[in-house]
Amino acid sequence: MSLGPASGPAAGAAPLISVTELHKSYGATRAVDGVSFQVARGQIRGFLGPNGAGKSTTIKIITGYLAADAGSVRVAGIDVAEEPIEARKRIGYLPESLPLYQEMRVDEYLQFIAKSRRMERRGAAQRIAEVMALLGLERMKKRLTGSLSKGYRQRLGLAQAILHDPDILILDEPTNGLDPQQIIEIRALLVRLAATKAILFSTHILQEISAVCSQIMIIRDGRLVADGTPAELAAAPGSERDWEIVISGTEEMPYADLDALGIGTPAGSDLAEGGRVYRFRRASELDIAVLGGRVTRTGRRLIEARRATRTLEQVYLELMGVGAKGAA
Amino acid sequence: MRQMLVVYRRELGAYFKTPIAYIFVPLFVSVLALFVFKIDLFFELNRADMRNFFRYVPYFVMVFAPAITMRLWAEELRSGTAELLMTLPFHSWELVVGKFLAAWTILALTLLCTLGAAAAIAYAGDPDWAPIIGGYLGALFMGSVFIALGAFVSSFTKDQVVALLVSLVAGFFLCVVLSEYFPMWFGIRDTNFARVIEQIGVRSHYVSIERGVLSLRDFVYFATCTAFLLALNVFRVQARRY
Repeated sequence: MSLGPASGPAAGAAPLISVTELHKSYGATRAVDGVSFQVARGQIRGFLGPNGAGKSTTIKIITGYLAADAGSVRVAGIDVAEEPIEARKRIGYLPESLPLYQEMRVDEYLQFIAKSRRMERRGAAQRIAEVMALLGLERMKKRLTGSLSKGYRQRLGLAQAILHDPDILILDEPTNGLDPQQIIEIRALLVRLAATKAILFSTHILQEISAVCSQIMIIRDGRLVADGTPAELAAAPGSERDWEIVISGTEEMPYADLDALGIGTPAGSDLAEGGRVYRFRRASELDIAVLGGRVTRTGRRLIEARRATRTLEQVYLELMGVGAKGAA
Repeated sequence: MRQMLVVYRRELGAYFKTPIAYIFVPLFVSVLALFVFKIDLFFELNRADMRNFFRYVPYFVMVFAPAITMRLWAEELRSGTAELLMTLPFHSWELVVGKFLAAWTILALTLLCTLGAAAAIAYAGDPDWAPIIGGYLGALFMGSVFIALGAFVSSFTKDQVVALLVSLVAGFFLCVVLSEYFPMWFGIRDTNFARVIEQIGVRSHYVSIERGVLSLRDFVYFATCTAFLLALNVFRVQARRY
């Protein structure tokens, strides 16, 4: 079911999606402002950001629904503005709006997609059966798409996107409206599909991103504010590290005592087992033996000192400028 | 071409899977029949021709075409399927022409349903078939202008009612205002300007067809208007990306 080799001799090595300095404005509003990234075969890239940050606009430009003001998008080496039809053949796209023709039955709808995708009749029938089985749609085959539940509509949308076995999958909030079990199934499916494809998907469910993505990018006001692997994002910016130390005593330490520890002002403290946990960030390494001695001099005990990794939620909130410097 | 037919078939299917075809076609045929047989007293005229029928056809097409074209793009834009359609490997013209032909087919089917009137005439007398065939042919060509107009208007809005009303007004302008009425209202009859205005309008090109006179000029006019509106529609669909 391959759609033939991608054009260009270096296409195999080149990233399947390559977005360069993309700009798009609606009137005075800059929806996308200089976004660049790449997605290689085998990667699942998560696209994260609040509503209206430019996720969907970026996706719509990649899929050819919107034209960019400046910048370029190449899919499988093909420029989407110059050869839109060739580019679209290589993309499977699930728009956020779930585009189903309500008056069509599930199998009719997939047949329409197959014909639109120029699949030959016999191959199409087999592939439709395959995809329906893969997404558990067989029982719904003769149902009108308009009468499907949200979960089935979402699955049909996904079926439509993968029907022609594209190299590139672009999914705008693919697990929207699914129940937990379906979400797990779809995630597993995406991971399986990613072996041979480049997948870009947007979501605002943070766990989803960490569950399936090999690369994460976060967009805010049309600009990418973070881009990296989950581990890279979890690390504190620059050389700074977040620490948590647990010190005996349920009362918060007075300032004088905290000063004597030489760790600066903690970002916050909470009750913890055996005492209180204090959180702080520092650029230099922490000598635990020295710290232990200083704690003892205040008449307390150092119970534990550990490097804290930030959760994706914390990273996200920090990037969005919503308070939370490690405070609970 | 094959891809255009994919669009055409889906679109035509949509007319029959939704109540539109079943509501508008009988409505159109029965109101037209009411005009011809009851109001115009066809049987009392005692004439075995369809001139009165064809006299009404432009006005009925003017009203009917927006009813079948209003959903063509507006429904896609409202439900979000436009995003699917425009990211599938279709050329814009394939979408535009496919949709146009589907709506035109509905119009043709409706005109087909009025053949009952022709049968009644054949039963009642011995009609001259040439003007009847010419009249139907003319109606189809004239109808294509209104269909293309309605489809174009529909590509501007998510709201079918807006599409309906705007294409009604535009059709009224094209059919009635740009006709002998305009010079009459403004007291400029028989001036060159009046003649130009008349020639731009659809009505004047149907008048001779109504009388049973087919001239190539009129058909060229209808075809040109249709092609022009379809081209505008293609531009409009492409411009949506910006």
